[in-house]
Amino acid sequence: MRCCNCKMIFDMSNMNIYLKEITRIKNKCFFNQGQLDTVIGTRHFINNNYDKQLNLDLLSHLRFTSKFHLIRLYKRYYGQTPGQYLIDRRLEKAKELLKEGQSVTETCFDIGFESPSSFSTLFKSKFGLTPTEFQKRAIFTKSDKEEF
Amino acid sequence: MKIRVISIPVQDQEKALKFYTEKLGFVKKIDVPLSEDSRWLTVVSPEEQDGPEVLLEPSPLHFEPAKVYQKALFDAGIPYTQFNVEDVQKEYERLIKLGVEFSVKPTEMGTVKIAVFNDTCGNNIQIVQML
Repeated sequence: MRCCNCKMIFDMSNMNIYLKEITRIKNKCFFNQGQLDTVIGTRHFINNNYDKQLNLDLLSHLRFTSKFHLIRLYKRYYGQTPGQYLIDRRLEKAKELLKEGQSVTETCFDIGFESPSSFSTLFKSKFGLTPTEFQKRAIFTKSDKEEF
Repeated sequence: MKIRVISIPVQDQEKALKFYTEKLGFVKKIDVPLSEDSRWLTVVSPEEQDGPEVLLEPSPLHFEPAKVYQKALFDAGIPYTQFNVEDVQKEYERLIKLGVEFSVKPTEMGTVKIAVFNDTCGNNIQIVQML
């Protein structure tokens, strides 16, 4: 069997059921290398630049595609839009910085948000705690562990 | 409702503890005896020790359907569960050096890279990297 992505020939007879199934899915769903390069490239760009002012115009321009096409493709392959991923990436980084003891305002600006209040609201809606509460809890847990 | 624990049925808890800590690198979190031959035994990721716990649960060896199910999954090469890693290729090379057996070598599947290994306790486990 020929895989369209890597041009390798697989001998299916020696494969277990799972390997056969992933080969089948790969050939059926992931044959368009151009689309994969677009979405993977977009994700890498977000990973390396989440702290900067990113927007869809820029992301789509970088991949020579329209905004709407990029959103559709990204959602199809990753299950969320580039904007949603950017927020998740920023908030994960925020958790790291807060755990290290950085102030909420500094953290907000370091991860690319412009308003501490909208950052706090978003943080709370995602994790159920405000950044300040999260930080207090993280520091308390850490010192608790060190004490014991 | 929160997800705190996921369980993996293992045929030998002591052997599983050694594999999951010494080879995979997890850290033992809770180890409480439940009966003469079973423990509530959990491990966590070293980077997220307050994160979800993996319960190394004794396989229900005396319950035939469960035994058949676990063996069928294993024989088909189907992973019981999966763990996320930063770099599948690196992890594959590290585990191969430790003698871990892989049924699926690092393989790209669209936006992820995967590999599958034998946990020596009756399960295939998949590692995944988001590309």
